Amino acid sequence: MSFPVFGVPTPPTAGKATDAAVQPVDPMAHLVLDHVSVHYEGQTQPAVVQASISVKSGDFVVLVGRSGCGKTTLLNTAAGLVTPTGGAVTVDGRNITSPGADRAVVFQNDALFPWLSVKDNVGFALKLRGVPQQERDAAATRLLERVKLDGIGGKAIWELSGGMRQRVGLARALAAEPDFLLMDEPLGALDALTRERMQTLLLDIWAANSVGVLMVTHGIDEALLLATRIVVLAPGPGRIVRQMEAGFGRRYVGGEPVRSIKADPAFNRARAELEDSIFEGETA
Amino acid sequence: MTLSIEASGDIADAAVGSVPTEPKAKPSAKRTARIASAVTVTGLLLLWIVSAHFKLVSPVFLPSPAAVLWKFYSVATNGFVDATLWQHLLASLLRVFAALLFALLVAVPAGIAIGVSAVGRGIFDPIIEFIRPIPPLAYLPLVIIWFGIGEPSKILVIAIAMLAPIAISTAAGVKGASLDRINAARALGATRLQVIRHVILPSALPNILTGLRIALGAGWSTLVAAELVAATRGLGFMIQSAAQFLVTDVVIMGIFVIAGVAFILEIGIRRLERLLVPWAGKE
Ligand SMILES: Nc1ncnc2c1ncn2[C@@H]1O[C@H](COP(=O)(O)OP(=O)(O)OP(=O)(O)O)[C@@H](O)[C@H]1O
Ligand SMILES: [Mg+2]
Repeated sequence: MSFPVFGVPTPPTAGKATDAAVQPVDPMAHLVLDHVSVHYEGQTQPAVVQASISVKSGDFVVLVGRSGCGKTTLLNTAAGLVTPTGGAVTVDGRNITSPGADRAVVFQNDALFPWLSVKDNVGFALKLRGVPQQERDAAATRLLERVKLDGIGGKAIWELSGGMRQRVGLARALAAEPDFLLMDEPLGALDALTRERMQTLLLDIWAANSVGVLMVTHGIDEALLLATRIVVLAPGPGRIVRQMEAGFGRRYVGGEPVRSIKADPAFNRARAELEDSIFEGETA
Repeated sequence: MTLSIEASGDIADAAVGSVPTEPKAKPSAKRTARIASAVTVTGLLLLWIVSAHFKLVSPVFLPSPAAVLWKFYSVATNGFVDATLWQHLLASLLRVFAALLFALLVAVPAGIAIGVSAVGRGIFDPIIEFIRPIPPLAYLPLVIIWFGIGEPSKILVIAIAMLAPIAISTAAGVKGASLDRINAARALGATRLQVIRHVILPSALPNILTGLRIALGAGWSTLVAAELVAATRGLGFMIQSAAQFLVTDVVIMGIFVIAGVAFILEIGIRRLERLLVPWAGKE
């Protein structure tokens, strides 16, 4: 297995700020989808066949592919929300059959709880564990700062913009202190400008938290900018056709501005290659 | 089955309430309806005044509005059949609210069970569907045979009338809870019970309140039947006693009080809805 490597891979430890340096406290966690197949009941064709993906702490794995090729299915399988009909999902060798707080999920339409204030949304995972209100509030304040939403803890969900809601969803997932962050088109509903700012925020948070990320996106540039590895799926039935390493996100974490990364001819070459593999075999 | 559709229709109305759906034609249509209502009410009132004034109908059957208004004052201060209007009203309100409390304690869990589990649906759906179409006067005798003529029977009769609307609305709300939100909670570590408590129940709250509103209406209209039996106080009892002595002005006054209280309760619940579920219709 040798993947083409794009960009200059800078080790993630070369953080741009001291607090952004990745020093995993926990031992490395390892999420594995091992030859996973999903055949939804009543469907003529399986949604996914024999897909194998590995996500370790510090990995940023991005799933791309045309609509209907099984990206959401794979992500939900990793989350434990969908049970595979073949193969297995394991975390550190343990079989996964149900969702758990070690794998927090961020949904496309934020899925926040409108009956709770912003800070209570963020503190939800802690409430489930019986953490007292005061500690929850302190944690929420800290997490909201981290997603650059200081001081909105008392607001109601419907008072927020789409970008703010996505960040609250992210903070809520981070509150569970997950080993893995599973995100299904987390920036899909945002306008282009907000989306770019959120991309760098995701990288900052990824670098600061030593989490393993598995993310679905439709954005090719987004995949290239964020991923340490890009998994390309093809439809009919959904299957992995290619996995390639990328290092542009690490360059951003290492201190290089996004604009300079995107201006790099290597970025354009990588994009062309990625587009080719997404639309491979398609006669258009 | 049929009422689930009815209930969800009502819920849809409630949800749409704060959102303008037909932007253009609505305001003028609303005004036309208002004017028509005003004209009808004034017309009926005039008809009443005129027929009472010229004694087109015997005052024994149709007392004048002034006589009814006067009765309102006199029953409020001096009372009728050993209790003032307020004591009658209080007795009725206590019965209705005791029944509501009982109905909520039974029907909300039943509705949740119907909504979240096939077993729950299998158990409670037939019971609810059986009770739903039966008029309270039909099961009143049985309740008396079983539970006697005391206060519990009266409350039970009212409560039975409230069960179906609350259970059906709750079940509709539970089924309407967003799958993404449920999954989000599960992925944050929620157990099945925590999902019900922290996601499904709040999601269903707007529907539960709608059910509560329908139930109060149903309970209030069952009141007179419930107070047929060995009551010594209550608006229904007051009306029936008055009818036996042909004191028609008290009967009419009692009807207006019941209608007025129902109206005030309705407004109160709408306030409560706005207070408890401020997010409804904002998504
Ligand atoms: N719950 C389900 N029941 C039955 N079939 C499903 C279900 N969810 C998805 N599918 C089918 O499985 C296939 C893969 O769907 P999936 O949602 O995983 O694709 P996707 O790559 O996420 O698509 P998109 O980019 O549009 O979100 C599709 O053919 C879809 O119709
Ligand atoms: Mg999808």
